[in-house]
Amino acid sequence: MKFRISRYNPDVDSEPYMQEFDIEVSRGMMLRDALLEVKRQDETFNFRHSCGEGVCGSDGVNVNGTNKLACITAIADLKEPVEVRPFPGRPIIRDLVVDMSQFYQQYKAVDPWLVREDPMPEQEILQSPEDRDKLDGLYECIMCGCCSTSCPSFWWNPEKFHGPQALLSAWRFLADSRDQATDERLDKLEGPYKLFRCHTIMNCVEVCPKGLNPTQAIGNIKNLMLKKAI
Amino acid sequence: MALNKRRFDALIIGAGGAGLNAAVQFANTNARVAVVSKVFPTRSHTVAAQGGVNAALANVMPDNWHWHMFDTVKGSDYLGDQDSIEYMCREAIPTVYELEHNGVPFSRLDNGKIYQRAFGGQSQNFGGAQAARTCAAADRTGHAILHSLYQQNVRARTHFFDEYFAIDLIRDNEGAILGALVLEIETGEPLLIEAKATVLATGGCGQVFRTTSNAHINTGDGMAMALRAGVPLMDMEFYQFHPTGIAGKGMLITEGVRGEGGYLINKDGERFMERYAPNAKDLASRDVVSRAIVTEVKEGRGCGPNGDHVLLKLDHLGEEIIQKRLPGIRESGKIFAGVDAAVEPLPVFPTAHYIMGGIPTDRYGRVIVPHGSGEEVVPGLYAAGEAACVSVHGANRLGGNSLLDILVFGRAAGLHVLDNMEEHHRPMNEDSVDQAMQSLQRWDRKGDGLSVRELRDEFRKTMEDHAGVFRTEEIMSEGVEKIKALRKKMDDVVLTDHSKVFNTARIEALELQNLMDCGIALAASALARKESRGAHSRPDYPDRNDAEWMKHSLYYLEGDRIDFKPVQTKPLTVDSFPPKERVY
Amino acid sequence: MSRKASGLKAWVIQRVTAIYIAVFSIYLVGALITDAPINYAEWKGWFAGSVMSVATLLFVLSVLMHAWVGVRDVLIDYVWNTSQRVIALSVVATILIACALWATQALVLARLV
Repeated sequence: MKFRISRYNPDVDSEPYMQEFDIEVSRGMMLRDALLEVKRQDETFNFRHSCGEGVCGSDGVNVNGTNKLACITAIADLKEPVEVRPFPGRPIIRDLVVDMSQFYQQYKAVDPWLVREDPMPEQEILQSPEDRDKLDGLYECIMCGCCSTSCPSFWWNPEKFHGPQALLSAWRFLADSRDQATDERLDKLEGPYKLFRCHTIMNCVEVCPKGLNPTQAIGNIKNLMLKKAI
Repeated sequence: MALNKRRFDALIIGAGGAGLNAAVQFANTNARVAVVSKVFPTRSHTVAAQGGVNAALANVMPDNWHWHMFDTVKGSDYLGDQDSIEYMCREAIPTVYELEHNGVPFSRLDNGKIYQRAFGGQSQNFGGAQAARTCAAADRTGHAILHSLYQQNVRARTHFFDEYFAIDLIRDNEGAILGALVLEIETGEPLLIEAKATVLATGGCGQVFRTTSNAHINTGDGMAMALRAGVPLMDMEFYQFHPTGIAGKGMLITEGVRGEGGYLINKDGERFMERYAPNAKDLASRDVVSRAIVTEVKEGRGCGPNGDHVLLKLDHLGEEIIQKRLPGIRESGKIFAGVDAAVEPLPVFPTAHYIMGGIPTDRYGRVIVPHGSGEEVVPGLYAAGEAACVSVHGANRLGGNSLLDILVFGRAAGLHVLDNMEEHHRPMNEDSVDQAMQSLQRWDRKGDGLSVRELRDEFRKTMEDHAGVFRTEEIMSEGVEKIKALRKKMDDVVLTDHSKVFNTARIEALELQNLMDCGIALAASALARKESRGAHSRPDYPDRNDAEWMKHSLYYLEGDRIDFKPVQTKPLTVDSFPPKERVY
Repeated sequence: MSRKASGLKAWVIQRVTAIYIAVFSIYLVGALITDAPINYAEWKGWFAGSVMSVATLLFVLSVLMHAWVGVRDVLIDYVWNTSQRVIALSVVATILIACALWATQALVLARLV
């Protein structure tokens, strides 16, 4: 099967180019297996990967125009030639490896941790199963970056717009019945950029390998803001 | 060009559960801590832990830490150190509450308390009825814990060196550890980090085997660094094969599936575990279940066209329970086995999963080595998590005790470092730095030679064939020789990529070196132990031999020497659990 | 439409004005289909009614505010240079204010003259 893979080594290349590889495909093969096969043919090819089962979030790449996790993308579902590029909109470090630091900064900017003003109980903070259910579809995020790097608003304003991943995380804590910083969290999201650059384009929902819905989370934040304002 | 240097009070290598729980202890203190990780912290393999973390909270059924301690000692096949086990089982309870306070989204019971499920090897009342001790966040507990710990470290403004690879420890002539030489992967620039205390929290070495539930990054880096610094590795022959990996692929299917009521069947549809463990059945200890599966397949009762696996049935639980308690398993089954677990059983076979052995430490995380007739600590060196061997798992780890181990002893190490901080840094030892630099610069060599890929493939296959499940004297002694020969060939390996920027070929070469050191430790220790105990099963010595072998083994890199030390059978406050025959 | 109408306020304005524009447009189209004015005097009379003139004024203001939020969003996304963006926003603001004044004048004149 033909693969066209984006290559770039800043030591020798002035800009990225596509290189063709012929990979023998076996049944049940995932894209990550194919990329490992490329690395067998050419040691100088580089990409991030680790767990191989879609939980560590290392191997997000752009495949035939869509952001995907290589390790859970079946080769059988891809059209030939398979074009593999780095995430769009991020500075390329080498081959498929991009600089994700702005993405991580945006995550850190939403104070992604549980805030509790009350003194902690000796045992667990109680939470009803119904309240816990509200975290489903939020806490599972693996921070692969597929969503934010497919979001045009994040392409235009990566230093100011939090992006779908960070906003999903923000809502994960706003939705947590144990969290006691709702007002501070909402205040921090005010302004034209951090939250309101989202124009519900919904690329994030389409690409999320975990089936999460950042657009809905963003909508929930806006609605909660409105409710608090009235 | 001058080598870049940074100074911290403490250096933690590894950003999984152990490393992050050690680092977070430094929040709100004046001590300066650096965490070095070869991947972004939430990519660490703690993220893949599914089932949960054990603590006798008694939220579902009666329970107490003493029962938990009994189960752990029995599970370890009486090789675990009972003082550390007592400490861990007591600390489990506040540790899980602390995790919950730190934001971990545990599943809940109707009364709002943390959900607990049954796991293998758990009992009430010292071997009585099944207990439910494993605190779970659906089947993504490791993910939930790792992300929460990372978040707490972000809050604490922990200094992270993300995507830095640790090459070697730096030590002075007295053997004290002064820090480590690390490599910034993005730029290829080395950096010397000086620290008064260094914590190795680098996880396991599952990549020594071909089929494993472990990630690409689990290459035993910390264990190998310790070996090269003259520290022995303890109990390396005890490697756990998890009973239920997806057949032929190795991805993990949590024991929680059986805890929720799933069970194993052979090609005749027989629930075969009833024959091997009449009481605990599918929730017997992992070594027992893995051996049972291998026996079924060997005796021709395996499933599939090649009869090479068994089936894990859970569809009878109903779609609702599966979706609520085991959503990740259902997803993995669909992706990797093409099977919807809510409709059909999953094909499973044991997969290399966890190393019980590792860097020997006490319960404060201090690395301890034999000295004269007693033991001494290695100044400035700590270890925690799968890289360490406290030893709480002995010859076999119980499910749900690994997350517990990394959290309890990660925290203990962090606290001990803080409470015993030296006033000053010890003087740097340039010879040691030069040596570490040489092992990095060695990969700049050009010309013809072997490739990392060839050697790695051969090594992992050799490990699987000669140090895997079937361990006879003949197979293993052949294996040790083969692996030593492969180690020699390491000198002939040459890279074709000499670029500095994000050169993963060079990282993989350094990792292969580490894997080889761990692999030899594993194979040599396995060859030395002439008995069957826990995960170490030898057809030529089928019984446990407490008279001669109730002792820890120690492997030294220098001269591939094996030594032994006694098991600590005396707990801290309660009576010792004497060895008994182990039945489930 | 101040600088403070930055996040939530702008978002609310856009949605509220959208609803009003939709409702008023439906009414207007409906009225034109069922009972369209046949000459200038009738047109004038229709819009000179007090309810209708206020409603129309609100409609015009809604369109302009809606446009302001929308155009501002586009400029924020695509024009990153601060001075260029200030100039562009000023031009847009001037045009919108002019439109508002013109519409007001027309409606006031319809009632007076």
